[in-house]
Amino acid sequence: MKKKLFGAVLTAAVLASSMTAMAEEETIKIGALFNLTGGQASIDTPSYQGFKLRADEINAAGGINGRQIEVISYDGKTDQATCANNAKKMIDVDGCVVVSGFSDSNYALAAGAIAQERQVPFVITGATLPDLCEQIGDYAFMVPFGDDTCAYAAAEYAYAEIGTKCYMMVDQSMEFTKTLASCFEERFTELGGEIVGSDSYMNGDPDFSAQIDRFLNDEGGSEFLFFSSVPNDAGPLVLQFRDKGVTLPIVSGDGFDTPLVAEVAGDQAYDVYISTHCSYTNEAENVQNFVKAYTDAYGTAPENAFAALGYDAMDLIGKALEKVEDPTDTAAIRDAIESTTDFKGVTGTISYTADSHKPDKTASILELVDGQFQFITEE
Amino acid sequence: MSFDYILSQFVNGIKLGSIYAVVAIGYSMVYGILKLINFAHGDLMTVGVYTMLVLMGFSGIPIWLVILVGCGMSIIFGMTMEKLVYRPLRGSGEETTLIASLAVSVFLQNLISMIFSPQKRAFHLPDFLTQTYRLGSITLSVMNILTFISIVIILIALTLMLKKTKIGMAMRACSDNLAASQLMGIKINTVVAAAFVIGSGLAGLTGLMLAGEYKTIEPLMGFVPGLKAFCAAVLGGIGSLNGAVLGGFIIGIAEMLFAGLMPTDITPYRDAFIFLLLIVVLLVKPNGILGSSEGGRS
Amino acid sequence: MRYRDNPAVRFVCFVLIPLLILIICAMNRGHYYSDLICLFGINAILAVSLNLVNGFSGMFSMGHAAFMAVGAYTSALLTISESQKGRMAGLPAWFQTFTLPFPLALLCAGAAAALLALLIGFPVLRLKNHYLSVATLGLIVIVRAFLDNEDQFTNGARGITGLPSYSNIVTVFVTALLLLYIMYRLIRCSSYGRGLIAMRDDDVAAQTLGVRLVTKKISIFCLSAFAAGIGGALWGHLQSVISGQFFYFTDSFEIVEMSIIGGMFSLSGGIVGALVMTFLPEILAPLETGLVIGGVQLPELYGASNLILAVLLILLIIFRRQGILGYSEIIMESIFSKRTYTGLFQARTYRDLAAATRAKLAGIGKGKQTCK
Repeated sequence: MKKKLFGAVLTAAVLASSMTAMAEEETIKIGALFNLTGGQASIDTPSYQGFKLRADEINAAGGINGRQIEVISYDGKTDQATCANNAKKMIDVDGCVVVSGFSDSNYALAAGAIAQERQVPFVITGATLPDLCEQIGDYAFMVPFGDDTCAYAAAEYAYAEIGTKCYMMVDQSMEFTKTLASCFEERFTELGGEIVGSDSYMNGDPDFSAQIDRFLNDEGGSEFLFFSSVPNDAGPLVLQFRDKGVTLPIVSGDGFDTPLVAEVAGDQAYDVYISTHCSYTNEAENVQNFVKAYTDAYGTAPENAFAALGYDAMDLIGKALEKVEDPTDTAAIRDAIESTTDFKGVTGTISYTADSHKPDKTASILELVDGQFQFITEE
Repeated sequence: MSFDYILSQFVNGIKLGSIYAVVAIGYSMVYGILKLINFAHGDLMTVGVYTMLVLMGFSGIPIWLVILVGCGMSIIFGMTMEKLVYRPLRGSGEETTLIASLAVSVFLQNLISMIFSPQKRAFHLPDFLTQTYRLGSITLSVMNILTFISIVIILIALTLMLKKTKIGMAMRACSDNLAASQLMGIKINTVVAAAFVIGSGLAGLTGLMLAGEYKTIEPLMGFVPGLKAFCAAVLGGIGSLNGAVLGGFIIGIAEMLFAGLMPTDITPYRDAFIFLLLIVVLLVKPNGILGSSEGGRS
Repeated sequence: MRYRDNPAVRFVCFVLIPLLILIICAMNRGHYYSDLICLFGINAILAVSLNLVNGFSGMFSMGHAAFMAVGAYTSALLTISESQKGRMAGLPAWFQTFTLPFPLALLCAGAAAALLALLIGFPVLRLKNHYLSVATLGLIVIVRAFLDNEDQFTNGARGITGLPSYSNIVTVFVTALLLLYIMYRLIRCSSYGRGLIAMRDDDVAAQTLGVRLVTKKISIFCLSAFAAGIGGALWGHLQSVISGQFFYFTDSFEIVEMSIIGGMFSLSGGIVGALVMTFLPEILAPLETGLVIGGVQLPELYGASNLILAVLLILLIIFRRQGILGYSEIIMESIFSKRTYTGLFQARTYRDLAAATRAKLAGIGKGKQTCK
């Protein structure tokens, strides 16, 4: 009985306080939606740090039209329900005018539905489902390219440089991995390549030995392997295949863009090629400035391309907010973001149109050399 | 499909099964006496393995000491949880202790996540343990062979202990009837503690085997293997050591053969298949394959 | 007369105040805290329906997430728009344009979950105790595998997006009250319920008295699944996105925890458990993001709230095994029995209240010992 009463009083109090909090605000609140723990953490954490870095830079330079930015962040725990809940809380309770984040489509879809319903712009930092923005609605914007671009680039590079016969390993339990694999297959066969076999596993399986033996039993003359995986499984996949004596080149997408590959697989991580959002060995000035700023702020070089995506997302939001007179008017902010043209980011140039909220960017092909991803070419 | 291929998948199954088997023995030890499904058993593996990871960070500690201290840490955690959580609950319903063990499991998982970060980490054993040998289509590492040998040793040692020593006989008595044993003057606390020491020590050891095989560890690594090992224990007939080992091998081999021999569009149903298998076996043999008569079925 | 037996007190605590909160929330539709209250309503359905099986039939199921999933997917498929369905290639042509109104979709969701319960009930319910618990855990794994792999019906790992947001304070709590009322009447006011409790306490004795064990077990399992299916559907319409990841071990365990915390031997216990498990994490959340206490910034401790919840749960199990409410049915009784409402119009109620207050005041005056 007391519990119920207590709960009731508490809720009423929180309701009241949150409503007054929304009335007066001086800073511009921006929600950062990232999974800081769980399987997504190795790509979301750099992204979050990049995001915060740009926000700090904007604040140090005097803020946006004189107003400081406040980044609100809750941990999504790599759980869709928590992610959706966090988005709700940021918008309803904290009064964020823009939310941003996520490097995987499953989480972006969950949070996106919330933002769309509340008519708050949602800038997606790293989730790459090609029709993500159409699925969520007109308040969603993608900073990265779509999986199609990523997979096409990988397919083109692999076909030209590595081989024409490919064996695929696909994580069956994630949207991202399935889409990446099907886009890769589509372009690769279009070019004249052949998928000689494919196998699957479930996210988080520790043991790939059955799949590896199946591959060894019937390689079908494959010249390289294409792994469609999320970051957490990337290291173990490479390691276990190499341990069983598979020396073929390994190709993958941006899910492999994590330091975990080199960390887990150690010196077995050779001949690994990935297609991702940008390369830090690019000599362009803005890229090098970013690398320096990130290194100064966090004591380590950007872990992967997602750091730059987070940085670009905040930069993009900042530029759009400058154009808006009333930074609480979310519809105006949406229009301002949509009017972005030729935005020069670390990860490439972004332009949106009313029809497409997905930028047309190029993908970088990197090779893992001595534990570091080195730039090879741009597709 | 060649014989070689089937054989290689079979060997994969034995490798996996041997790990399940050791975990299942630990389950059986505790379950046999307390009728307690200890969901936290899998997390004791994680505790042991993370201790080993920390120790291996210091150079100069010999590997046998690392393993010993790791298992020791599992035992300390196992004893502590028995004393703090399960002892006060003794005699309450089976469901209550089941939930308590789930809570302990969540506690341990989050504790380890907070201390070590929830990321996967590399776990590299010394080279002489991970050295692999290839015989045709089969790859075996020193670790695999040691795992297999240790199962035989553990099984013989535990059987001898249960048959010949005083504490072993006390354990069997408690397993038959806890209340009556107490009336006959058996010190139940000692017996239960002994079962937990053995179970937790084995958990630490399996943690090592698991980490050695897959070379990566994470705070949640113990839960699913723990659950499957529990299935193994139930399948073989919980409370029976031979049953636990048999169940472990059956589940390991079934899992690998399913993943290796079925068409690739069915293989994602691997875990589902294991549970289905368990349910079917329980319906035919409600007490498991080697289980004693006392009932699983109503 | 004790306070808790007084109709006026009961009315205020369990009817008036909750109703006021609901009205406030209904006026702020879609707000975070309104949605949280909705979530509480859904959790209450789930926890109470789990209590039906775990507390009143002597079986122990842990597979509620599976029934939730079936309910959520059924309702989703029956209500989403044509363009959303277009992505799922395996649906038959007539189904592409077929939608049902929300109440019917909810019923179908419950029916589908109950059907699953019926199908697996016959084999699984023959198992006892732990074996049953493990088998129901297995059910979750099996259902999840289907959701992730049968792309043509479930849209695979992507899950289904764009569920119409039908769940709000009104729909959730009307459904919840209806379901709770049915369950309350069935358990506490019918021979069916008495037979069920007899079976829980001693199945052999109950059987000799003419209680049909198999029928009872299957029927209560199905009823529980029916409610869980509806709960899952409401939950899907609240989140507007569902996928296999939503319905897994953690979610199932959470419902089991609710049921244990509140007290699984009482239907009202489910409500209390849902209350605690919905709002406690919310209160503990600031701990994780680095709370500022007296100007001191605490470090970010992700995972701290789960840790504290686990410890609280263990302490509760050790010191109050029967849960917070134990065997008391006070909340349900207060809401659903006529006496609460008729009592309001009897002068005796207020006389008793005054007398009780006087006695209490006098007790405080004389010190604690005499109060006892």
